[in-house]
Amino acid sequence: MPTLTQPTTLIPPSTHPHADIIHRLEAGGSMLPDTPENLMQIIGIYKAYAVPMDFYWRDLLYIAERVFLNPVPAFKYFLPQEYLDLPNHYAGDTADLRIWRGEATAHPELLEFMEKGELKRKLPKLFHHLWHDRVNMEFAEACMQAMLWHQDMGGRFNDYLYTEEYKAACDRAIRAYFKGNPVMLGLHKLFPEMFYEKCRELSYYSNLGLFWEVMAPVFFEMSDIYDEGGFVGVPDAMNFLVNGIFAVAGRPIYHHVYIGDECFELIPKSCGFTWLYEAALPYVEAVFYRTAPFRGTKSYNAQAGQVPEDQNEFHYGILYADVFPVGSAGIPPTLLMQDMLHFLPQYLLDDYNKHCRGEDDMLIQLGVTFQRSMYNVTSAVIQALRAALHYPLDDQNPRHLATNRQFFEAQLDRFVRPEARLKDVQHQEYR
Amino acid sequence: MPTIVDIAVNNEGFSTLVAAVQAAGLVEALQSPGPFTVFAPNDAAFAKLPAGTVQTLVQNPPQLARILKFHVVAGKYTQDQLIALGTVDSLEGAPIPIDGPFDSDGSDGEGSFEVKNATVLAADIEADNGIIHVIDTVILMG
Repeated sequence: MPTLTQPTTLIPPSTHPHADIIHRLEAGGSMLPDTPENLMQIIGIYKAYAVPMDFYWRDLLYIAERVFLNPVPAFKYFLPQEYLDLPNHYAGDTADLRIWRGEATAHPELLEFMEKGELKRKLPKLFHHLWHDRVNMEFAEACMQAMLWHQDMGGRFNDYLYTEEYKAACDRAIRAYFKGNPVMLGLHKLFPEMFYEKCRELSYYSNLGLFWEVMAPVFFEMSDIYDEGGFVGVPDAMNFLVNGIFAVAGRPIYHHVYIGDECFELIPKSCGFTWLYEAALPYVEAVFYRTAPFRGTKSYNAQAGQVPEDQNEFHYGILYADVFPVGSAGIPPTLLMQDMLHFLPQYLLDDYNKHCRGEDDMLIQLGVTFQRSMYNVTSAVIQALRAALHYPLDDQNPRHLATNRQFFEAQLDRFVRPEARLKDVQHQEYR
Repeated sequence: MPTIVDIAVNNEGFSTLVAAVQAAGLVEALQSPGPFTVFAPNDAAFAKLPAGTVQTLVQNPPQLARILKFHVVAGKYTQDQLIALGTVDSLEGAPIPIDGPFDSDGSDGEGSFEVKNATVLAADIEADNGIIHVIDTVILMG
């Protein structure tokens, strides 16, 4: 394969159950096989994911920064123009670091969908909302909740949420937000932990919003590069992600709240929290690997040990999901699939129509594609960590290569369990 | 004797590190009595990072300062002392593993030592307020 380097002969072959995939990673490849169809599928789905993601990150920040502690946030999914125009820090002419060559404001396909929805009719916003003909923000909130619930996944973000410094900042914001509202201020006095906990949740809204603000332009740019004929294979697409991870690794993760004209810094940028350590890695851990069983998909008997006692052992993320039952109505992965369905590029629509039941099972087909694409993103994270913490793939020191091997094997140990879909995505007929 | 900052400024090959220390506002701290042990990545080490990495960090001084603090240890430790310790705590808070000594071919021997995934190119450079070990890779927490 042209984009892979020759595998090393300086150390003996791996004996791991996924040895073939480990050797591929050592040659600079991805966990996803390098085939033109895989490349077409993953890029197509990245584009379809980026459009709703452009809504998710804007709304997550809107909720964290403006809706804040609104006790009846009925309109939290109604993005004001200010947040649709909010310039993305990684796209457009005003970017801190321009990743996507496109515009910094909300994507045109998103704006069109927000206006007309699936019905393709311009109706009042409230009607689209109640008819559920809109971007499924509930998916983004489910991801945020997974991060909030799993909490301790490396980085310093979660620890900070329990410091006196954070509580004092929350306290100032809570008092300002409920100024002149004796009922809410009384509640805060009686049950001080209640609003702190709500603030912690809102800090995770901000965290995830800042994380996805980066990913949307990354995926848009990948789609544009592919359309221009720029990626030779799957490893190229993975390496673009690896470079992107490094480029924005130092982006600050913070939580600012705006009450009137005043800005309250619940988590100031000066805390030194970074995109890589406090957002990206916890996100991958919480959402790709762990999450929690989705209600309405399958029953588990916790007493019989069907759900791990240790949260670290949770394995309900996209890398393990059985896409078919997970495709039931109303649950988070289906909400995302439905969102992506609206923005599929034509080549992916044509491909789905050629396979399985065509249009009838398109949600499942795109769910499987999404799973493939996330194995590629996870590969990029694994290769980025290898590059950051260990050694180059072409290192000539056998001791260094053995360290890389150990790292790759430890990562792939997580895919030995039967629920893992790593073996499935090796075959093109898995759809 | 010159301070750690003086040595970095007056020697070739550390212009990126000096610019980063200035951007992060750490010059004063590294000129204080200390003492400190500094693992100093040379320009080639910074050049190995993918495009944009340094730019993003320089735009965000607190985040840059955190990465730089991972290269600094409180106290003055020579190569022999570091190898004997096996691991030291950085000012960032995360531990830094130390391994070695190794020969130039990477096997156990009497030559250089390794700081996490970086190889030490020049060890035990004495400064007024500490000691510098030059490394070939920017080290990262984790």
